Amino acid sequence: MASLTFDDRPVPIAPNQDVLSALLAAGVDAPHSCRAGICQTCLSRAEGEIPAEAQRGLSKAQKEQGYFLPCVCVPKGPLKVLRAGPSLEATEVGVCAIDRLAPTVVRLRLEPCAPFAYRPGQFLSLETPDGCVRSYSIASLPEAEAFLELHVRLLPNGRMGGFIAERLSVGDRLAVRGPFGACYYDEADRDRPLVLVGAGTGLAPLWGILRDALSRGHRGPIRLYHGARERSGLYLSEELAALARERERFSYIPCVLGSLGAADGDVEKAVLEGEPQPDAASYFLCGGGDLVNRVKRALFLRGAQLARLRADVFLPAS
Amino acid sequence: MSTLYERLGGAPAVDAAVDIFYRKVLADDRINGFFDSVDMEKQAAKQKAFLTMVFGGPNAYTGKDMREGHRRLVARGLGDVHVDAVIELLGATLKELGVRDEDIAEVAALANSTRDDVLDR
Ligand SMILES: Cc1cc2nc3c(=O)[nH]c(=O)nc-3n(C[C@H](O)[C@H](O)[C@H](O)COP(=O)(O)OP(=O)(O)OC[C@H]3O[C@@H](n4cnc5c(N)ncnc54)[C@H](O)[C@@H]3O)c2cc1C
Ligand code: HEM
Repeated sequence: MASLTFDDRPVPIAPNQDVLSALLAAGVDAPHSCRAGICQTCLSRAEGEIPAEAQRGLSKAQKEQGYFLPCVCVPKGPLKVLRAGPSLEATEVGVCAIDRLAPTVVRLRLEPCAPFAYRPGQFLSLETPDGCVRSYSIASLPEAEAFLELHVRLLPNGRMGGFIAERLSVGDRLAVRGPFGACYYDEADRDRPLVLVGAGTGLAPLWGILRDALSRGHRGPIRLYHGARERSGLYLSEELAALARERERFSYIPCVLGSLGAADGDVEKAVLEGEPQPDAASYFLCGGGDLVNRVKRALFLRGAQLARLRADVFLPAS
Repeated sequence: MSTLYERLGGAPAVDAAVDIFYRKVLADDRINGFFDSVDMEKQAAKQKAFLTMVFGGPNAYTGKDMREGHRRLVARGLGDVHVDAVIELLGATLKELGVRDEDIAEVAALANSTRDDVLDR
């Protein structure tokens, strides 16, 4: 029988109900966003039997400490949810640069006021003073850059995007939590082809992963496919093209939808045509769910191994 | 005398089989409609549970679990042809991995023994 306590008080939970919705129904002000086990905004700690799916994407250390994701946790027995532990504390950051990289893409550089260890490609959650929380992938390289770099797409009426574009200034302070996720370079893949696929700001984690792989001495070929709806959306294209000229092993394949050229500018087509031997490579797929899930499935069906198809879907906050 | 599960190679054999089996399932128009979830890791985890079970490995599933777990699918038309298809793909997967025909037959028989539970009759 499932039962639930929060802060030592009993909380009613129905059969097949997830912990997050039970907490919210009981009036607990539990932070949350994607409600699909991805963004980790609701990350909490508990004592009791935690189902494996509620710990997916967490580190070994986090699992051992009882961290879990309430939004995808349907307990089978008694579960004692504790108030958030110390590793979830926010890190204060100062805004050191805000730059427009494309008409709808802003690059944000944030300087942490306390050490913030991460791997490029992981993501963090960014919090505004009025409590808006959103996930963003980390594009910077910790060994080379003292700031955390994020690429934020500006959506019509987007809360965080609007806040960054209209109200945020250099010198302001914000809070971040994290890092989260397993979308980062693994040295075990050093000799394999590395295939990076993203659309729009899906380039953010890839820009980090690419430079991380190069600086860690990746020996296989690296191909980066970046898709955009308009040419102006191919941000960082000069930097990427320059890197491709400099590094023989690295190829940059920009794709603008509907443009002439290979694969009509469709990233999915370009990837499937450009990767004739999918089983040999290791992949990172980042950006909107439609593209990421389609490409992931297509590559898997052509022989790519599931364990080497790492993906971060930029789910909207609910 | 070793058990079927040991002869097949235990948990590492399940790991080796899961990608191949899942790929066949997704590519098969007779049954892929039942596996349309976009969460591929979750699906693969369930396939692993299935493979462990039909390899004769450690599992705690009861006939009742099988009935309840597939009832939603039976309501969507799950029937004998689909069970046959799954057993066929299972055999093809094991063949690809070089498993002996006698062991494949034993796995198929184990899967087949759950048929009435899976189809809730
Ligand atoms: C793991 C993870 C990593 C992420 N990394 C990044 C990143 O590096 N860069 C980045 O820009 N974003 C990233 N996102 C998405 C990000 O967290 C926000 O959802 C996004 O920035 C929108 O926030 P907002 O407050 O500006 O818009 P909101 O106020 O949340 O939404 C405004 C409107 O736009 C709609 N909407 C939301 N998302 C989309 C979409 N993709 N397409 C069309 N309409 C949409 C909403 O439904 C709403 O109507 C990531 C998400 C996750 C889960
Ligand atoms: C041949 C006998 C079969 C056995 C022994 C079997 C066994 C299992 C097991 C152990 C699970 C995991 C349950 C869990 O932990 O949630 C499962 C889930 C599932 N099975 Fe089967 N299965 C069989 C046949 C089939 C067939 C024929 C189909 C469809 C063509 C099917 C479709 C599914 C699906 C879609 C799920 C996931 C359900 C969910 O998402 O909750 N199974 N099965």
